[in-house]
Amino acid sequence: MAEIVFAAGAPHAPAIVGLIDRAPEDAQKVVKNTYAAISKGLRDARPDVVIMFANDHLANSRISAYPDFLIGMADKHTGPHEWFQEWIGCREYEAKGNPEVAKALFRGMTQRGIRMNANEENLKFDDNISVPVVLTDLDKTNITLVPVLQNCTVPPFPDPQRCYDVGKALADFIKKDLPADMRVALFGSGGLSHEPGGARYFKIDEEFDQKFLSLCAKGDHKALLREITLERLEEAGMGGTAEVLSWFPVMAAIGELPGDSFGYTGWTSFRCGVGGVVWDLNANNKR
Amino acid sequence: MAWEKFNPTLGAHDLVQDLKWDVNLREEFKRNEAGVLDRYKLLPDERKAIEARDFRKLYDLGMHPYLGGQLSRFIWGNDAGKGAIEASKNLVASLQGQPREPDKS
Repeated sequence: MAEIVFAAGAPHAPAIVGLIDRAPEDAQKVVKNTYAAISKGLRDARPDVVIMFANDHLANSRISAYPDFLIGMADKHTGPHEWFQEWIGCREYEAKGNPEVAKALFRGMTQRGIRMNANEENLKFDDNISVPVVLTDLDKTNITLVPVLQNCTVPPFPDPQRCYDVGKALADFIKKDLPADMRVALFGSGGLSHEPGGARYFKIDEEFDQKFLSLCAKGDHKALLREITLERLEEAGMGGTAEVLSWFPVMAAIGELPGDSFGYTGWTSFRCGVGGVVWDLNANNKR
Repeated sequence: MAWEKFNPTLGAHDLVQDLKWDVNLREEFKRNEAGVLDRYKLLPDERKAIEARDFRKLYDLGMHPYLGGQLSRFIWGNDAGKGAIEASKNLVASLQGQPREPDKS
């Protein structure tokens, strides 16, 4: 039985890389503290592989054939894709892939009734994978990466309950299909509130963000599924805030566990609310 | 825009995808925008809206806002420090019916 040894959720807004030096000190602190905690937690957990769920911002597929979940099966993952590099303002990277786990995931989720697509080519990564990779220096570790690009923006996209069900299937897959001694990290990349390309491009819904972070940190999944509706997500920023749906498979896979958050910033120029959670996978042993 | 207006059949969506994926097309778009637009199945109003930088109209026709945001970056700039910010401001001005900043391109 493979073991989940690390789980976190955090935003990937490009400006937390490209504009970080221009941000006020308190906003910088939130970004740095959040990603420092993730980076340390990831290393301390010594995972063999991190499965990273992240919104695909229409970078890989046409709207006419848009997958809900797209697994990257390449043996290495390079990025950011050429057009996004100056936009994010981040360095290039080459993270180690894990084709065996990626293929097993594709097979295992299909067998559990979860439609996923898969691609052996290097996927086109924008901020979704690039920002977490460079802010954790994942590519400088021996941890392998399996990206799962998720449809959080082309309607109709999987709703919170469906994403939660995906996470339950993911937990079963990790438990039953992966090698017994394998250590697995899970990461949900996306959110918080933002409306990319919309009339409210510079608006951030702090009330939503604080509520979401609080429920995630409490591990209150019933409240999350009750209160984080598609309607509320769109109200908090159409086409962007729903990226937090990438946190749902992670939370469902680990179960109702509490976690730590490292502050919040709604600095307007990030064009996105920023705050993250690292879940305490040993919380049940402490109770 | 609400999702009720979203129209997945718009040709502008494929235009933006191809611009993202093809650096040569991007350069051609800068030199000869009309020639590039000629190759896509755009509705007459859709083409007029692209030419007029009228994002409100494009969204009313059903353009996906994320691709609208990317189209604005092909037009006004894509770099993190300056161009993308200008693109965002001009996009929002169009969506809110306000005059945009003078075209610097």
